[in-house]
Amino acid sequence: MEVLLFGMIAEMAGADRVKVDASSVHQLRRALADRIPDLDKFSMAIAVDRRIVHEDMPLTGSEEIAVLPPFAGG
Amino acid sequence: MSDVKQHKVKDIFVEGPVDPAFIATSIAKHATRTDIGAHEIFLGQVRADATPGLTRSRVQTIEYTAYRDMALERMTSIREEAFAKWPAMTCLHVHHSLGTIKAGELCFMVFASAPHRQSAREAVAWVVDRIKAELPIFGKEIIDDDTHQWKSNDLRDSGPGLRRDDSPE
Repeated sequence: MEVLLFGMIAEMAGADRVKVDASSVHQLRRALADRIPDLDKFSMAIAVDRRIVHEDMPLTGSEEIAVLPPFAGG
Repeated sequence: MSDVKQHKVKDIFVEGPVDPAFIATSIAKHATRTDIGAHEIFLGQVRADATPGLTRSRVQTIEYTAYRDMALERMTSIREEAFAKWPAMTCLHVHHSLGTIKAGELCFMVFASAPHRQSAREAVAWVVDRIKAELPIFGKEIIDDDTHQWKSNDLRDSGPGLRRDDSPE
């Protein structure tokens, strides 16, 4: 699945999207940590279909997935 | 105003700074709405923050980016909640900058109007806090050509009852 990256996390990855294989949010977090060095040192949220998810949940691959660093609006 | 109590998805983003002349025009457009008795406006300005560990260096500009689709969805529900909480409010205008904004320029406007001041005041304070906490907007603070840091909103002064999560209403 394709994962959208933003802000500091896109900068760390050197890309604004990455492809990973994951069938759950938990797996997604692990796959991203493998792909992006030092990711676990930073605060981030996962959005599934434009809503932040706090718990593990299954992913089918058809969702819009995004990794969000801390917000800075205003 | 054309957008009175309509809750369709509106684009709040503007490329570049919020122009003070635009704000003046926006105020003037309300002259036909003689049921309005109070306007409340919050304006966010890019601050030349000192940078920890970098003496004599200050933030020169902020480069704003956003996860647009999510931001506009969140803004639509914040707008709907605001009109439900303050039904007397006649209109609510929100603009946020994207792209490069220099220190001293405006990057954010929340403008509410109502028959009386209390609704407008309360709504603006609440909407500003919700936007800072919930809209996926990112800010790269440029110190100089070689140095930058990423802005992160401090939500501790956001007031009581602010949700940190994004759960359905």
